[in-house]
Amino acid sequence: MIAKRPARSRLRRPPGLVVVGVILVTVFCLVAIRDFDYAGARTSGSDVWVDVAHGTGAANVISSIYLGARLFDTILEVLVFSVAALGVRFYLSARGRSYEAELVPESHIVRVAVGVLLPPILLLGIYVLSYGHLSPGGGFSGGVIGASGLLFAAISLGTAHVSQRMRPPVLRWMEWSVLLGLIALAALPATCSLPLLADPLPAGRMGSLMSGGSIPLYNGLIGLKVFIGAWIVIKHFVDHRGEI
Amino acid sequence: MTARLVLLGLLPLTAALALLQRRRLYAIIGMALTSLLLASVFYLSQAPDVAITEAAIGAALVTFIYVLAIRRTGRLNVVASEVAGLMERVGDRIQGFEWEILDRFARRVGLDLSVQFVRIDEIEKVLLQRDADLGAGGLLPDAWDRRLLTSREHLPTARVAIVGPVSSAARDDESDRPSTPLVGHLTDVIDAVRDRRPIDTRLDLARFLVLSRHGLDGYRVVRDDIETGYAFVVAPHRADLYTQLEAMIEELRESGDLDRMAERYLT
Amino acid sequence: MFGFNGVTIAIVLFGIGLLGLIIRRDLVIKLLALGLVNSATILCLVSLGAQESGAPPILTPDMRAAIVDPLPQAIVLSAIVINFAILALALVFVMLLVERYHTTDSARIERESDTEEETWN
Repeated sequence: MIAKRPARSRLRRPPGLVVVGVILVTVFCLVAIRDFDYAGARTSGSDVWVDVAHGTGAANVISSIYLGARLFDTILEVLVFSVAALGVRFYLSARGRSYEAELVPESHIVRVAVGVLLPPILLLGIYVLSYGHLSPGGGFSGGVIGASGLLFAAISLGTAHVSQRMRPPVLRWMEWSVLLGLIALAALPATCSLPLLADPLPAGRMGSLMSGGSIPLYNGLIGLKVFIGAWIVIKHFVDHRGEI
Repeated sequence: MTARLVLLGLLPLTAALALLQRRRLYAIIGMALTSLLLASVFYLSQAPDVAITEAAIGAALVTFIYVLAIRRTGRLNVVASEVAGLMERVGDRIQGFEWEILDRFARRVGLDLSVQFVRIDEIEKVLLQRDADLGAGGLLPDAWDRRLLTSREHLPTARVAIVGPVSSAARDDESDRPSTPLVGHLTDVIDAVRDRRPIDTRLDLARFLVLSRHGLDGYRVVRDDIETGYAFVVAPHRADLYTQLEAMIEELRESGDLDRMAERYLT
Repeated sequence: MFGFNGVTIAIVLFGIGLLGLIIRRDLVIKLLALGLVNSATILCLVSLGAQESGAPPILTPDMRAAIVDPLPQAIVLSAIVINFAILALALVFVMLLVERYHTTDSARIERESDTEEETWN
């Protein structure tokens, strides 16, 4: 129940003091950082990380950091991503759909164009994902590229059309099983010491596609997760327009 | 190396320009440009991984999400006559009871509200010529062309007949005078009152309140007994808007929001 | 007077974003400014490891220079994707807010929510 209280006097404006304060703090930071020793701040010897990379067998040093040494951070961040996508779905599916299916153009050209352009976009996403341990990219970038391809298809053909291929029940099941698989795969080396399970994939020759230990596997799972999560967010934004 | 510094120098410029924009769409486009510059800076800072990710997310997905959130799929062209309290220009914004109803309506159907102010006698012509979808601004529901759709009244009002100056010559009976069906344009009436010219017109209450500030001594003012109210007038080619508008006004009336808004603007 | 490098520009961008968050009244633009603050943080972290004489952190057989510090880049990579999801959620909340108050003007929303008093029945 919402009752009324007498209103305060007028519209509150940000006091000039706050603005001046922010500017002063920014200038202070700029001045304070003037004598910062950039060379010394760099972790001495990126050789540490080069050794880590040789250990995992991946040529992309960054992959071997966030999927090797700092794997659990990455898994929890994927969890945060899932929860955010879940939140978007929860809050937006209670709203009604937009009044008409406005975004779908009726022309044949668009359908043909999407048919021609969508496979290369998805292929690029898969490429970036699978070569993530050798060249820049990885699971996050690959999943996002694939999701933007799906976005393109959704605003040209309509979310109903795309949802026929990506059915919501299947997506829901896949989302959480991928997450579970990710956690299980990460927990294996830490919990089992059986020779086969502790080190599922060999490090391989650096620079070849079959290298990097379990890193391509992690990339694939994370890429799938990000792909599905971003698609869910996009689908709900296309379907449920707010009143902004 | 210098390319990196140049791009770095451009970054605060584009960011500040983007955040200073008046229209939301321009701000979003500015931020997409900033993300693109940022991705280039990342690439030139020996961080290709971060560059790919930032380009894919900042320039594509985030921009798309924002544009999808603020999208409107058309425009709602409203032609209105300016009346204080109902639909008036205040600075560079528009305020008023009717404006707020129309703003909510436009948001709900996903259209951009665009108001064009004209003289009240031109509204009918504009609507019939399909140059606008809806007419507003303190319009009374009778005496419109039969083809125009009039909504149900959303705010009760009355008509006031102003005749005079009383001291002028012709003193016929009021019943013989032809009644001007539409309300007269307010500024003409105000000019006539200021010059003490004879007028015989009827105004609705909101306009009468504005007029009365100019001093009406010498004029006879008679309030009509007929209960009437302000309504919107919809052009015939947008009958779909008419049904949705009626539904929304009914909703507002039932939930009490209509009275709350009236209180806010008209007391 | 100030060195012209990534960290300095990141601080300036942070300040611009913060000012935009405070000054602008439109909710959508406030969110954009928040995104700018995110980007400024990422720029600062990546720039701490950047050197012109370094090589990107990909090990190739013929590498002429030592790689730049890969640690800030690894930290920041997944943060970018997470920021997107959080931003989408924030935008959803803005949409809910606008649906409730029928305006995107934050000052007006504040004023109207001040005059309401919710009692839990």
